[in-house]
Amino acid sequence: MSAYLNGIGWVTGTGCGMGSQGSELIFADLPLPALARRDVFAEPNQRFGRMSDYAKLGLAALAFALRDAELESWSEKRPFGVVAGTRLGCLATDLDYQRTVLLEGGGLASPNLFAYTLANCFLGDAAIQFGLTGSLLAVNETQSAGLGALTMALDQLALKEEPVVLAGVCDLAPPEPLADVKHFFPGAAFLVLGDAPGEHCYGSISMAADGGIECNGVRVESMAELIAAAVNG
Amino acid sequence: MIEVCITAAQTVTGLGTGLDPLFDGIMAGKSAVAPVERFGTARYLSPNACCVPGLAAGEDSLLYPLLERLMEGFPAVPADCRLLLASTKGPVDLMERLQRGEAVDPAELPMERVLSRVAGRCGTTGPALNVNAACASSTLALARAAQLIALGRCEAALVICLDLVSEFVFSGFSALQALSPTRCRPFDRNRDGLTLGEGGAALLLMSRERARREERKVLGVVAGWGAANDATHITAPARDACGLIQTVRQALARAGLTTDAIAAVSAHGTATPYNDQMEMTALRALFPGRNLPVHSVKGAIGHTLGAAGGIEAALALKCLEAGVLPPTVGLIEPDPEGVGLVSDAAQDIRGDFVLSTNSGFGGVNAAVILGRGDA
Repeated sequence: MSAYLNGIGWVTGTGCGMGSQGSELIFADLPLPALARRDVFAEPNQRFGRMSDYAKLGLAALAFALRDAELESWSEKRPFGVVAGTRLGCLATDLDYQRTVLLEGGGLASPNLFAYTLANCFLGDAAIQFGLTGSLLAVNETQSAGLGALTMALDQLALKEEPVVLAGVCDLAPPEPLADVKHFFPGAAFLVLGDAPGEHCYGSISMAADGGIECNGVRVESMAELIAAAVNG
Repeated sequence: MIEVCITAAQTVTGLGTGLDPLFDGIMAGKSAVAPVERFGTARYLSPNACCVPGLAAGEDSLLYPLLERLMEGFPAVPADCRLLLASTKGPVDLMERLQRGEAVDPAELPMERVLSRVAGRCGTTGPALNVNAACASSTLALARAAQLIALGRCEAALVICLDLVSEFVFSGFSALQALSPTRCRPFDRNRDGLTLGEGGAALLLMSRERARREERKVLGVVAGWGAANDATHITAPARDACGLIQTVRQALARAGLTTDAIAAVSAHGTATPYNDQMEMTALRALFPGRNLPVHSVKGAIGHTLGAAGGIEAALALKCLEAGVLPPTVGLIEPDPEGVGLVSDAAQDIRGDFVLSTNSGFGGVNAAVILGRGDA
């Protein structure tokens, strides 16, 4: 099974970017930028400021990926899917929300924060923002740093469940209780995969017989390697 | 496409361990709704939930004794099985204790750790994945397992669905004004919110050929699946049911069936005013003029969140075998849109396929169509 790679977008410690802009280094052990609406969207966006940091991160990376593929603007909803791989999901938001529960016997629990205590929460925002009506879900993996989400997306394309599926990763830096336990480069990056080549196609992503992932024929072991292979050739 | 069979199914709910106590309990109109003893509820809208009786964890998360009960007596799982977990909050009780200052190992919190422990208990060695799609998590995990087998990526997949009643989630639904002050009444004209529950489900899926080779009884088949997003609201369903309608149409197309083939529906039926209204809108649009048997289990075992779809799919297999759809416990006076569909009495299933649907936060909708197994 293979698919066309039609767009790449990311928000990492090196900043915000798109595949068409190129980059030597994408994931790095650097703090993530504090995202403001104007960093992502030119137009006012009522929801962005109220989102959790995790949701802002994921939504922004999806926006850049769709923009790179020239698929950001829309007039009718589209059956595009999204599979987001994540290690810690919204754990940082969970901890923030739980602090509100500890006050006044739970009487001050924040309904707005609670709405962001699911790992897939930002995908609902993305669905509304970009008119996406496919299957949108988050997955936690045991192996291969985001490639599980990618294989799932390739299968959805193979089954013709959606014509376009975005696959990627989304993680904030580990929050305080886990800072000494989990070590990975924080950030979000998404690929726009399609059953047909787009305007600025980066080539193809394919799944080998053993389940491994190749980008333009080169075996990759992580999402970071895949993006580097696609962007830098 | 390779046919996908379900060869084993097990549940743990507030009505007990196993499918028989669940099916028999609902048939008898029993409900596990009871006052919560796990945490104080004085500041919340409701004192009630459906907890699994007798769960005790000591220093560990309650998730693991729940898993232990689920896997006791479960048939042997092939080591080459792919593992699909469906849990929205995993060991949320450990996170609560950590925040209260108790000595908890933070390394137990990530889902990656939960996956490793579940895989270790179930004896799977391959890649594992936790699906997080809110209250549709286990239906999507089941769909993903079916995808993997249908495409020949694996011959067997184990779907484990687990979620707990926690103050974390209880307080959130209370803050959203979504909890019933008493007990939930799915599809009732006077419904006033959901009741939370906890539980687990285990479903072992295999290709028909693998099931035959291992001489496993086929309890049912996953004939079709679908998923679609409303793209309208973060926490509320689309009033026109656009996402659920699209989801069911996808599932029917995947199964190669028309709506006439569906003999009954296991609905999400949370008993929130908007969810149930949306589902009735979808079912009336999809099955015009038909008085199709529809039920919800939430009045009996509560809303088990990420585990809901797995428990409901397992129960649907039992219903197909028995030829009966259990009553909707808690239903007193059907919503006008539900008259002729939902009932407080058991309804006969006249056909070979049950549609099971779930919807959730983020605009998620998911459905599976389950077919009859070996006689």
